[in-house]
Amino acid sequence: MRRTCLALLAASLLAGCANVGVKPWERDVLARDDMQLDSNALDAAIDDHIYFSKEGTSGGRGFGGGGCGCN
Amino acid sequence: MRVQLIMADKDLKIGAALTAATCSLLGIAAPTTAFAADPDAKWDVDSALLYYGESDSRVKDLSLGTHATRDFGDERKLGLDLTVDSLTGASPNGAAASGGAQTFTSPSGRDVYSTPAGKVPLDDTFHDTRVALNAGWSQPFARLYTVSAGLGFSNEYDYQHLGANVGLTRDFNERNTTLSTALAYGQDTVKPVGGIRTPFSLMGDVTGDGDDGGGSVHKNVLDALLGITQVLGRHSVLRLNYSYSDSSGYLTDPYKLLSVVDPVTGELVARTPGGAPGATGLYRYENRPDSRRKQAVYAELRQDFSGKVLQIGYRYSTDDWEVDSHTLESRLRWPLGETSYLEPHVRYYTQTAASFYRYSLASGEPLPEFASADARLADLDAYTLGIKFGHVAPSGNEWSARLEFYQQKSKPPAETLIGTQIGHAQMPDFNAVILQFGYRFKL
Amino acid sequence: MVRVDDLWIASFRAMGGPCEVLVEVDRESKAQSLAARAAECAWRIEEKFSRYRSDNVVARINAANGAAIEVDDETANLLDFAATLHRLSGGAFDITSGVLRRAWTFDGGARVPTAGEIDRLLPLVGWDKVSWQRPVLTLLPGMQIDFGGIGKEYAVDQAVQVLSRISDAPALVNFGGDLAATRPRSDGRAWRVGIEDVTRADSGARSANRLIELQAGALATSGDTHRFVTASGERLPHILDPRNGFPVRGAPRSVTVAAPTCTNAGMLTTLAMLRGFGAEHFLETESVRHWIQR
Repeated sequence: MRRTCLALLAASLLAGCANVGVKPWERDVLARDDMQLDSNALDAAIDDHIYFSKEGTSGGRGFGGGGCGCN
Repeated sequence: MRVQLIMADKDLKIGAALTAATCSLLGIAAPTTAFAADPDAKWDVDSALLYYGESDSRVKDLSLGTHATRDFGDERKLGLDLTVDSLTGASPNGAAASGGAQTFTSPSGRDVYSTPAGKVPLDDTFHDTRVALNAGWSQPFARLYTVSAGLGFSNEYDYQHLGANVGLTRDFNERNTTLSTALAYGQDTVKPVGGIRTPFSLMGDVTGDGDDGGGSVHKNVLDALLGITQVLGRHSVLRLNYSYSDSSGYLTDPYKLLSVVDPVTGELVARTPGGAPGATGLYRYENRPDSRRKQAVYAELRQDFSGKVLQIGYRYSTDDWEVDSHTLESRLRWPLGETSYLEPHVRYYTQTAASFYRYSLASGEPLPEFASADARLADLDAYTLGIKFGHVAPSGNEWSARLEFYQQKSKPPAETLIGTQIGHAQMPDFNAVILQFGYRFKL
Repeated sequence: MVRVDDLWIASFRAMGGPCEVLVEVDRESKAQSLAARAAECAWRIEEKFSRYRSDNVVARINAANGAAIEVDDETANLLDFAATLHRLSGGAFDITSGVLRRAWTFDGGARVPTAGEIDRLLPLVGWDKVSWQRPVLTLLPGMQIDFGGIGKEYAVDQAVQVLSRISDAPALVNFGGDLAATRPRSDGRAWRVGIEDVTRADSGARSANRLIELQAGALATSGDTHRFVTASGERLPHILDPRNGFPVRGAPRSVTVAAPTCTNAGMLTTLAMLRGFGAEHFLETESVRHWIQR
């Protein structure tokens, strides 16, 4: 049930995305470094590694980073 | 794998269209290529020195990490990561606190270590250095497509990881929507100090030779990711991920134990070592299933408020070990003038215990199929509070400092407690300090 | 003329600023004749396209008051180019935006116009309001065109073309910071040029921040060094967004681009400035060598 809900949510979001967005010349703010989703890549990798070794869940954001013997 | 927010089609066409327009204006055919050599090259390097320290005499970690990217033009990028970290300090071995002092045999089998009465047992025999290397490449594939691939490797005394990943992204709606897919495969090799323990075997005495026995086991992980990046407006962008992860092989922690206790009182069952020193209680090595399937959804929103950027992320994860977790995290980048910024950070994490988590095992009862007393698989709450300060020098290089406080509290599910443990269970909760200095420069 | 190393350097004034021609040749007389041809290019284009004169094609167009004006080939080429740029920049680059200058006085003062003053001028701005059917141009009454954003770089490219035709001698033409070389220097050495450091320019000192080694091709710079309005302490460059009448926010203080021709380089710097905060990303996407100062 949960899985179906998640799939439906994803599909409806993609379908509704057609009209949302900005024109090319309106990307001034979005082009800033601090608005990039990977702006803090090193910090994020460090945090992910700490939480991977101290908690029961890991990942979700993306890949890159290896395993380690700490979990 | 990183997904870039790529600008509109128009941008990529401007270069060619502009050159063509200029040529027709100037009445020339083919322009000579400009060639301006410049001392500044194109590597963008982010480096960090990190200190992680838990309360009491628990784990301390010092690490140096670098993340370097190089742009080869035309959206082709290379990323390299190198991390070295050195771990010392004690970590819980899974045994429960007891009314009396406890002695354990160390993982190598050559020594013993002890825990005073009433304290959660910690194993302090570990010092390890780990090196990790990652490389990734991404480039445009056809119009609107970007393809990426990467390799990863890490090595420590008893553990080695080898991994590879591939990814594909496609843009829609004038690049306002980006769909991304990625696949990663990893193969890990574990060579536990002291050899591979038979599941639920009892911890014994110190042995003379004490070495590996040479055993190594493997673990394979397959990860799949489906993501959407959507521009919501001039000031905000949203990322949604769905990920699936399938691990199989040796997933047990080879050093963790469960205490065997009296089924009525909940007290540790004593053990008398043989001729040599050894464990003074009954302890069994843990055993986890050999497969784990996980699914997670993650959402992140970045919102600009006149120069300040608020980042909010939420992740829900569920798996067939019944470890379900919610993570809520937020950062606010607050510019100070034109060259500095302050970035407070909060994070809340909560998880439910694995189905096979036990606080201890009851003596005389049949052994469960799987059991672990690792607090990281119990009901758990964790809080992080931190702040980061950064400053950009006129040269464009940025240095930063980050201080964070982490607090973890775990709870055993009530049904796993026996006798006097009820109301007196002690979990290895801890606080940790994270201090990081970063420097970002161009090479 | 001045001799430095093995270069002859001629200096003169054109297009409202200092100009130089550097020629690598032995005889001074040869260098002089090349420099003279380059200067002629500059003055000819200045006379023909400057908005400050009352006797050229631009003056006739701007005084037309709604009438159709037929223009020559060279002007038509520039108008076609301007139309293409208007389209490629999504309307941000617009040669009819000059009238907005009446509301903004860029001379270091602190005066910022009101929305009403801008609104009164906006109906006179917009290439989409212009009828351009080569070779006939019709503006609405009150509209003005200004080739200031294209003229200097075009002049540099014209001068380089002329010099390349009449001589093999390596030469560098530099009109106020927009420059191009006819060919690399004879022994493979690069032309060394400097990009002005905008922060030092404030204090009156003029010293190059960054030294660029140009083998061939051109370099153009856009920036706010000398003209700005301080509105609540914020530095606003003189590039206005014709779609709303206000200076582009977040524009870098200086953008320099290297490209095969000066016109090409100049347009990329202008388009980058018009992107404001997105300048870096724009130029990275265009994969051109660039230097940005903020």
